[in-house]
Amino acid sequence: MNTSALWDALKKYDFTFFGISLVIFIMGILNLYSATHASAHISGLYQTQIKWYLFSLVIGVGVSFIQAKNFYRFSYLVYVANLILLGLVLVLGHKGMGAQRWLVLGPFRIQPSEIMKISVILVLARWYSKNNVDSELGLRNLIIPFIIVMIPTALIVAEPDLGTGLLILLIFFVVTFYRRLKLKSLAIIILMGIISSLAMYNFGLKSYQKRRVVTFLNPGADAQGSGYNAIQSKIAIGSGKFFGKGFLNSSQASLNYLPENHTDFVFSIFNEEHGFFGSLILISLFLILFYRFIWLATSVNRIFDSLVVMGIMSLFFWHTFINMGMVMGLMPIVGLPLPLMSYGGSSLLTFGVCCGIATSLSNSRNLF
Amino acid sequence: MFGEDDIVKHHKKRADIIFNIVLFCFSILFARLWYLQIYKGEQLLLYSQENRLRKEPLKAPRGMVYSRNNELLVHNIPRFDATVTPQFLKNKKQTLAKLSEILNMTENKINKILKKNRGQARYRSIIIKKNISRGEVAIIETENFKMPGVGVQKFISREYRDKKVGGHLFGYISEVSQEQPPKFRKRDNFNYRLGDFIGQAGLEEKLDLNLRGLDGYEYVEVDAQGRKKRYIRDDDLFKGLENKRPKPGRNIRLTIDRDLQLKAYEALKDKVGAAVAVDVNTGEILAMISRPSYDPTQFSRGLTQRYWSSLINNDKKPLRNRSIQDHYAPGSTFKTITAIAALEEGIVDENTTVKCTGKFRLGRRKFHCWKQYGHGKVNLKKAIRESCDVYFYKVATQMDIDILAKYARMFGFGVRTGITLPNETMGLVPTREWKQKRYGQDWVQGETLSCVIGQSFVLTTPLQLAMSYSAIANEGKLYQPYLIKEIFNNSGEVEVKYSPKLISEIKISPETYKQIKSGLFEVVNKRKGTAWWHRGSGIQMAGKTGTSQVVNSSPDKLYNKCEEKEYRFRHHGVFAAYAPADDPKIAVGVVVEHGCHGSSAAAPVAKAIINEYMRKYYPELKKNYAIKERVAYSKMINKQKRAAAEKERLAAELEAAKKEEDE
Repeated sequence: MNTSALWDALKKYDFTFFGISLVIFIMGILNLYSATHASAHISGLYQTQIKWYLFSLVIGVGVSFIQAKNFYRFSYLVYVANLILLGLVLVLGHKGMGAQRWLVLGPFRIQPSEIMKISVILVLARWYSKNNVDSELGLRNLIIPFIIVMIPTALIVAEPDLGTGLLILLIFFVVTFYRRLKLKSLAIIILMGIISSLAMYNFGLKSYQKRRVVTFLNPGADAQGSGYNAIQSKIAIGSGKFFGKGFLNSSQASLNYLPENHTDFVFSIFNEEHGFFGSLILISLFLILFYRFIWLATSVNRIFDSLVVMGIMSLFFWHTFINMGMVMGLMPIVGLPLPLMSYGGSSLLTFGVCCGIATSLSNSRNLF
Repeated sequence: MFGEDDIVKHHKKRADIIFNIVLFCFSILFARLWYLQIYKGEQLLLYSQENRLRKEPLKAPRGMVYSRNNELLVHNIPRFDATVTPQFLKNKKQTLAKLSEILNMTENKINKILKKNRGQARYRSIIIKKNISRGEVAIIETENFKMPGVGVQKFISREYRDKKVGGHLFGYISEVSQEQPPKFRKRDNFNYRLGDFIGQAGLEEKLDLNLRGLDGYEYVEVDAQGRKKRYIRDDDLFKGLENKRPKPGRNIRLTIDRDLQLKAYEALKDKVGAAVAVDVNTGEILAMISRPSYDPTQFSRGLTQRYWSSLINNDKKPLRNRSIQDHYAPGSTFKTITAIAALEEGIVDENTTVKCTGKFRLGRRKFHCWKQYGHGKVNLKKAIRESCDVYFYKVATQMDIDILAKYARMFGFGVRTGITLPNETMGLVPTREWKQKRYGQDWVQGETLSCVIGQSFVLTTPLQLAMSYSAIANEGKLYQPYLIKEIFNNSGEVEVKYSPKLISEIKISPETYKQIKSGLFEVVNKRKGTAWWHRGSGIQMAGKTGTSQVVNSSPDKLYNKCEEKEYRFRHHGVFAAYAPADDPKIAVGVVVEHGCHGSSAAAPVAKAIINEYMRKYYPELKKNYAIKERVAYSKMINKQKRAAAEKERLAAELEAAKKEEDE
């Protein structure tokens, strides 16, 4: 009796999210090994990464067993708690690389801005699912959601972590669009976005952030060598040609030409070793994952679930698109990791939790 | 009203749009990948194989240092290092063998150096031998094509013109090393990188940010052997990579006079000690010498182990700048302060006399005068001139230590002068409160007796000593001593200009100054003055000798001859002076460790400095004095002649009278 109940649960369990992400992760860990094996001081990073992945998997699977309605119920609580943590970071955060992003709690270092990405998705979904559900959204309906998003965004930008701040705005944009924003309002928002980003650039950015944008727009104004990184990254990608140089054969990585080649620039190492063909496979995997998310968003029963899944999809999508775009020289170098590929515990944990939420929502689809 | 299910269905259209946008975005990425990997692939592969793009650092030249008269004191000279770049090394064994032959070092040693640097990036060159000769440079440059990977690196050496003279003043520069804590590397909010040269002592440390300038870089293409091929021009891919020119460091003009500095260094020959000369009317430091010294040039060229250990293991500690980093008991030079305090507080006046028998009794303790059988009847002037201890013991019985401390502080004792040199010590002026805090004990009057003659707790640096005598000389203006006249950039524009800064105006009656100064004058210029032996030579100097006891109760007897004691028990010789006595221009403080007497060890140093200064800047004054002296001399001779003539006349008269009597 008991075993058959377990069997039923397993039959209903949606393995696709953890499955696809595991495949991507395995490609990522091999790539990380290749990117770091030549430099003695970071060659052990892939082991740390595996430990983090296992930890994230446990948390993610745990999350997948949370009943779907609880995401709805606790969304505000999580959001407010997260805001407090963000405030704490600003007051007594741990400094690293000129920015204040970490909170040290005993042996743990947490980055509240990472968790905030998920909190914002949950809160937005809850708000949208409770207000004017059966009509299209106008600008007036956006005032409260805008406030919900802007408070944490302002705190995160103040850290300063421009990349994450921008990412939250982009997620907000996708979720709002999905929640049937009027096309007229959409046009106005895009216009406002352009104006405000210009204003932000002129008044709100730190010099190194400005430099990155300037370097992107005009590599001639290279000040601290950000243009140099972009060029070395392009050389690495291009030199891979169609089939790549093969595993462990990246010369750019082994010669330390690329800085941060284990975090932000993993994709250029991947391209150098596996070429256009390898990227075709990797990007296809990502696309399958996105497709699965979007399919899930349209198959769940509740509007809240649907919005959450779409939010998670956009989180994955923007990370992937911006990271790949920046290493190819299509976008400024903003320092966003490539999901499941870049080295870094916090980002693995975030994506693990996201997969867990999606799985939980998927499992609860046919309960009624 | 819809069911929730239906609402989700209403969003299907938007979901489709989103998925299409996702597909569109990724097709852009694919197009870009196609462009880079298929279209540009061949070209980029070439770049990647040869790593032809390199970012080369351009070091900014460090600023120079000049004397007050614009003589160059510290500058940079190119030297050459032999290097090996592992990335370009081909048939390693053969190449290294050849290199070892050229450089005259064993292959083993070269291999060891390479092994030590294995952790760093392979395209970075490793220095094999520093400071190679021009001949070696020529051989390597011509044989270069046979030994791929071997090269010559230009290196700018920091050289100090007068070698050991003023080594402490300039300090030295050396590479920021891996061992130095990260905190140190971020000193003054400047991001020092490994291998950067950084000022590690003296002015080089204090003015590092001014001197160092900003490094630049340039992008170069290199060939497979690592040789520069061409500078990046407008290849589409490298559009607009811009080089940054280095910004040279600022230059510094000091208040130091080079001739005076050399003279002081020479005068302190084989002594251990320090001498500081300051301009009485501005606080400019004219000379600052500490011996033994070191040659800072050795540091910037990479210190040999031998030189370093010779500095570190020397118990005379050549790395210390004794003029500010060490403090000494001022000895009798401090009696001037006691005398000022006594006059101002009305404890004595010029007519007060004390009978000195050579010892003074306080309770059950006996205090000795340096002169075993006493000075006899002593007034203030004589007490200063002959440095009578008993006179000041007597004063001490009526003066509280806190009063004395007040006057000492007024003249800058016990307070850091704030000179722009690192690790200045502040000396010590004891008070009741200080003793309570330090030892948890009450002040004892016997200690006051020691303090008034500058022994026991009182401590001063040679710089403080010079500054306090300068304030006496100019009658009450305590200046902040300074070393830097101006800081100017490479095109000669003055960026910062320093001017005299008055710390305080000491409010003391002119009458007091008059008496003190006449006492100090007699120390040098009147018979029985303690520095009588160093009078004259064209300039009238005023000053005070001091002998500071090293050990409170030395195992030898008090009146034993100092020179016969063991070196470490000998007294320090101290001398403080200013000149000319009637219109002071320069003040000098000298301490000679274990020199036994202020008058024999320290005074000649001060005299040499003062003479040199007067010769250089006030030759007419010196001439006038010489004339005055000559006039005085001829007067004396004439007097003697007259006396002799008179005697002769008298004798003649006497003889005449005798003759008359006889007849």
